[in-house]
Order: sequence, then C-alpha cells, then structure tokens
Amino acid sequence: MNLIVVGLNHKTAPVEIRERLAFNNKELIREGLRYLLNRCGVHEALIFSTCNRVEVYSYKSISSCSLTYMEEEENHLENSIKKFLSDFHKMEIEDFEKYLYIYRDREAVEHLFKVSASLDSMVIGEPQITGQVKEAFEIALSEKATSLIFNHLMNRALFTAKRVRKETRIGENPVSVSYAAVGLIKKVFDDLSTKSVLLLGAGEMAELAIRNLIGSGVKDIYVTNRTYERAEELAKLFKGKATSFEKLKESLIQVDIVLCSTAAPNYVIEEKVLREVMSLRKYKPIFLIDISVPRNIDPNCNNIDNVYLYNIDDLQDVVDSNMLERKKEAEKALQIVNEETDKFFQWLNSLSTVPVIVSIRNKAEQIRQEEFEKFRVKFKNLSPEILNSVEYLTYSIINKIMHEPTVALKNNCEMKETLILAARRLFGLENEEE
Amino acid sequence: MGTIFFELALTFYFAASLLSFVGIIRKKQDFDRVILILSLCGFIFHLIYFFFRYFKTGQVPIFSMHEANSFFAWCILLVTFLIYFSSKVEIINFNIILTFSFMFISAFFPRNVPILKAELKNIWIGIHALLAVFGIALFSLAFVFSILYLVQERAIKIKKLGGPVSIIPSLEILDKLNYRLIWWGFPIYTLALIVGFVKYFSLLGFLWDPKEIWSFLTWLVYLSIFYLRVKSDWRKKKAAYLTIFAFLLLIVGFFGINLLTESFHKPL
Repeated sequence: MNLIVVGLNHKTAPVEIRERLAFNNKELIREGLRYLLNRCGVHEALIFSTCNRVEVYSYKSISSCSLTYMEEEENHLENSIKKFLSDFHKMEIEDFEKYLYIYRDREAVEHLFKVSASLDSMVIGEPQITGQVKEAFEIALSEKATSLIFNHLMNRALFTAKRVRKETRIGENPVSVSYAAVGLIKKVFDDLSTKSVLLLGAGEMAELAIRNLIGSGVKDIYVTNRTYERAEELAKLFKGKATSFEKLKESLIQVDIVLCSTAAPNYVIEEKVLREVMSLRKYKPIFLIDISVPRNIDPNCNNIDNVYLYNIDDLQDVVDSNMLERKKEAEKALQIVNEETDKFFQWLNSLSTVPVIVSIRNKAEQIRQEEFEKFRVKFKNLSPEILNSVEYLTYSIINKIMHEPTVALKNNCEMKETLILAARRLFGLENEEE
Repeated sequence: MGTIFFELALTFYFAASLLSFVGIIRKKQDFDRVILILSLCGFIFHLIYFFFRYFKTGQVPIFSMHEANSFFAWCILLVTFLIYFSSKVEIINFNIILTFSFMFISAFFPRNVPILKAELKNIWIGIHALLAVFGIALFSLAFVFSILYLVQERAIKIKKLGGPVSIIPSLEILDKLNYRLIWWGFPIYTLALIVGFVKYFSLLGFLWDPKEIWSFLTWLVYLSIFYLRVKSDWRKKKAAYLTIFAFLLLIVGFFGINLLTESFHKPL
C-alpha cells in the first residue's frame, strides 16, 4: 500500500502560487495523468484542480515486505511527484515546496474524504466541490488512470460527501449575503411566486439578490431609479417593469419585498412615509432589505407593525451565525469521515492474501463436511473402514482443487489485488460479509 | 371493551412522537414519511376503538374524561391530516406530540363506560359534545399556531433566528392556517352550542348553567375574531393575540368552571 497526496490549497499557498500550479483545463489534466502514469511509475493517479486547490493523488502498489525498501520507495514517489509538478509547470521545486502538504495512506484517504465532503473548503459546506471531485474522477477514469483502488476510493469519497450532506445540516443555512436575504424573506412569505419585488437603485449585491429571488419563484419585478433610463435598462434585464422614482410611494403600497441599494447620502424611505404607506396597504407585511452604505431606509421603520427591515450588517450577522453553525456541523461530519475511512481500510485489508486463502479454504472445508455428513446419513450401513476412505477421498479432492488457486494468490505478482478481488467473487466471499 | 385498539393506537402515537422529537432536536426531517405512516396507523386503530365502544354501549363515547381526551387527541390528528393533504404544510412533527400527550392523559382515566343520567341519554346530547370537542380541537390548534406566529414574528423583528426557532414555518403559512382553523372551528363550535342549547332547553328548561353562560361569552369573542377575519383585512399579529386570548377564556370555561361549580357539564 502506498497512497499519497501532494497538494496545496487556499490555506497553505497564496494565489500566485496556486494559479501557477493549477491544471486549468481537462486537456492539461489528461496530459498530467499520462505523465504520472508513464514517467513517475505510479499505478493509479488522479489530479484535482480548482481555484482553491491543486492536489495530486497517486497510488503505487509495493509488493516487497522490507521496511527500509518501502520507506525508500515512498520518498522516491513523493519526490517524483514534486518533480512532475515542477517539470509540468516549469517551476523550481524550491519555489513551491514550502506550500505543499503531503499525506500518506490513512491520512491521505481522510483528506480526500474531507475535501469531497466540503469540510476543507474555504466556505465550509459549499456544494460545488463534490461535483468537482466527481468531474476529476471522470477525467481520470476516461484516461484509464484509475483502477481497482482509486475506483473504490473515489466512490467512497463521493458516498461520504452524500452522507455528510444528508446526516448533518452543513449545507442548510445560507452563508452568502444574497442567499441569506432570500432565506429571511422566506421566513415571512411562503409562496414567493405570488409576491412582487421592487428593486430600488442598483448594485452588484442587489442584482445577485434579485437573481436569487427570481430563482425562488418571484415573477413580479418592479425597478425604479433616479434616472428613468437606467431603471428601464435594469427592468429589461430582469424582465420587470420600470416605474418612476417620483411614484415611489405608490410602488411601496403595491409590493411585498423591497431591495434597496442606491448611492443616495440620505434616507430614501423615511419612517413617516412608510407609516402612511403601511396604513394605505392595510398593514400587509412588507420586507425591506437595505444593502446601501450609507443606509437608505430609516432604521426606525423596523418599529412599524408588519414591517421587517434588514440592513447589510444584519445580513452579515445572519451569515456569520450560519457560518458558526456550519463549523459545528463540520465536527459531526468529521466523525462520518472517520467511519468511512475505517470502512475503506477494511475493504483494503480484505484485499490482502492470507485472509482470502483462509476464507476460501474454510468455505471448502465447510462444504466438504456438510456433503460428507449427508452421505453418512444416507448410507448408514457402510463399515467404518469404507467411511474413512470416503472421507479421505473428499479431503484429497478439496486439497487438489485448492492447490492451484492458493499458489496463484500467494505469488506476488503485479495484478495481486485484482486476483484477490476476482477470487473473492469467484468463491462467493463478498456476499457473506455483507 | 376493545381496549386493545386503544393500546395499539397509543403505541403507534408513541412511536411517531418519539421520531418527531428526535427530528425536532436534530432539526432534520428525515423520518417524516415514517411518522406519517405510523400516525395514520394509530389514527385508524383509534377510530376502530370509537366505533367499537359506540356499538358495544350504544352511547357516544365522549362523556367520561377518558373518552373526551381520547376524542380530542383524535380530532387534532384529523385536522393535521386535513391540513397536510390539502396544503402540504408539514406540521405533523408538532401535532403528533400533542396527540400523544392527550392520549397519554386519557390512558390514566378509568375506562369504564360512564353511567348517564336519564335526561342525557339522547343522541343529540352526544352530537353536541362531539361537535364541541371537535371545535375546541380546531381552536386549540389555532392557539398553538398563534403562539408560533408571535414567536416567529418577534424573532424576525429582533433579528435572532438561530436555534429551535429555525424550524417554525413562515409567517404567511402560520397566518393562513390560523385563518382556516378559525374559519372551520367557529361554525362547528356554533353548531355545537345551538344543538346543546336547543336540546337542553327542551329537556330541562332554562337552568342558567354557569358553563353555558361562559361558553356564550367565549363564543362572542370567537365571533368577533371570525367577523374581523372574514369581513375586514384585520389579521396577522392582532388576530394572533386575540386567538390566544379567546382560547385561554375557553380553557378557563372548560376546566375552571368544572372545578369551581356544580354543573351537569362536568365530565363523568
């Protein structure tokens, strides 16, 4: 067993280094995989490259039992991967070596599981990474860079990610301001498709929020701006209606949600005005989101009945507390990662020679005993000598049949693991364990 | 007396409540399907129990504390199912625990068949009691949702949304449910009072039963909620407050009057 990961991520390396070592497209990854397989002498390989991390996973089956030889071999593997990165990206090893982390065997498996379950991400619990892991696996698969070990390993990594997502609340609370805004709105309104939103002013965050709202079903969109042309422009972009800034009060009477993000230095919506609006709209609830700095909605508006006002700091607080919640969930997730790592190594152990031979032999012996028992019951009248010779006969048949497979399994050849797996399947040992 | 059906229903409710409790603690809704099926099984056994008791004794099983509590529990579950299947609002988590609690209380009361006074041995009196308990069940759910509404509303206003508050449904849903429960509860309760009053009058004459007067007062409060809700756009927070007030009044009438005065409304 010699599984190793050499990599760097947003925690260990600055972006200048990450971007130089990144594999920016599928073709580069393929090329890298070919390099690893052909020139570094690894048996299985996988390259995982995103904007936050570059990781090279490789596996080389080492058949010798000598410890010193194994250590040598491990160091050799580590160095050849470093050299691969250096050659491939035309960088000196010394320039990036200090940013690298290197994990072996159990630690490497654990690391991969953590990465794929999004526990190692910059934004813990963000869901994209699992898809990226899957994609990296598919590329390696199509390049035939993975085989027995990595195929199982990657499937377990994806399974771990699924379990973490299902069994913890790691992905449930939004951790971006625009998603948090939508989450809050949903605390007040149930069916967003019957609600209308007014976009007051414009800005990157407001646009993001409105896109999220559209994604959640909002159809009725009004846009207003101090310059009417700009309002029309934005209205076109979101398939909404432009309304004039002078009629702000009328618009406020109609809509359910207001996204405010103007560059005005003073309050655009004042408490006095909103009180009038609320009585005109018969106190139908209204949700105001003020993401402008300086604030454009008088904070006292929150004191009016059925008015819910959140400004940028409130949203940031929600995001912060959600982030904290995620970190708590990540602790639970680590336990799952641990369990899954254990399971992976159990599987790996089942690939070693001795237990397989023992179980095959046990199984044969069990069959022999059962069949012989049946024979003895059927022919009660036979003399003990004959019975003994029949039993001896069964022994020797079993032994003769078992001889070749045992020798083949004990033989250290390159396809050892494949052979063991095949033997397990041929002798039906897999089902018994499950 | 078919007690086995009662025990079966109780067991199913218990299992469902346990799962709900775990779900609420873990803030996860993995078992919702199982909870639904378990409660449905309990619900059916519970119904069989009622019919069994009714046909065995020939009187509506609503007069003893055991019977009334168990019917109340059943009503809450019935309404939960109606809400679930009509609007897909998943409130079974809270309500199954409520159902189980009342079933549990019911299990502690003697299960013998109550011996009724001659003048109460009338199918209409039974119907009056059934309707009244059903109406009260609707009102008590309205009460629960009103409390949830106020808790959620306050959480949004003061911007503290973490912890257990995070699983409360949106204000819009809570208000809608509140509205619907009053919309159904009020006419049913009214009908119960009318049936009771008419029969009572024809059987016993006018007696100024304290419970009757109190019930009429409560009815007036619910009438005002009903009117304000249906006629004008008077809803949300104020409606929630009034619903809570009305229910407290109802409970005082239900238990307080029983304890303090001699009324023939006292459960047997």
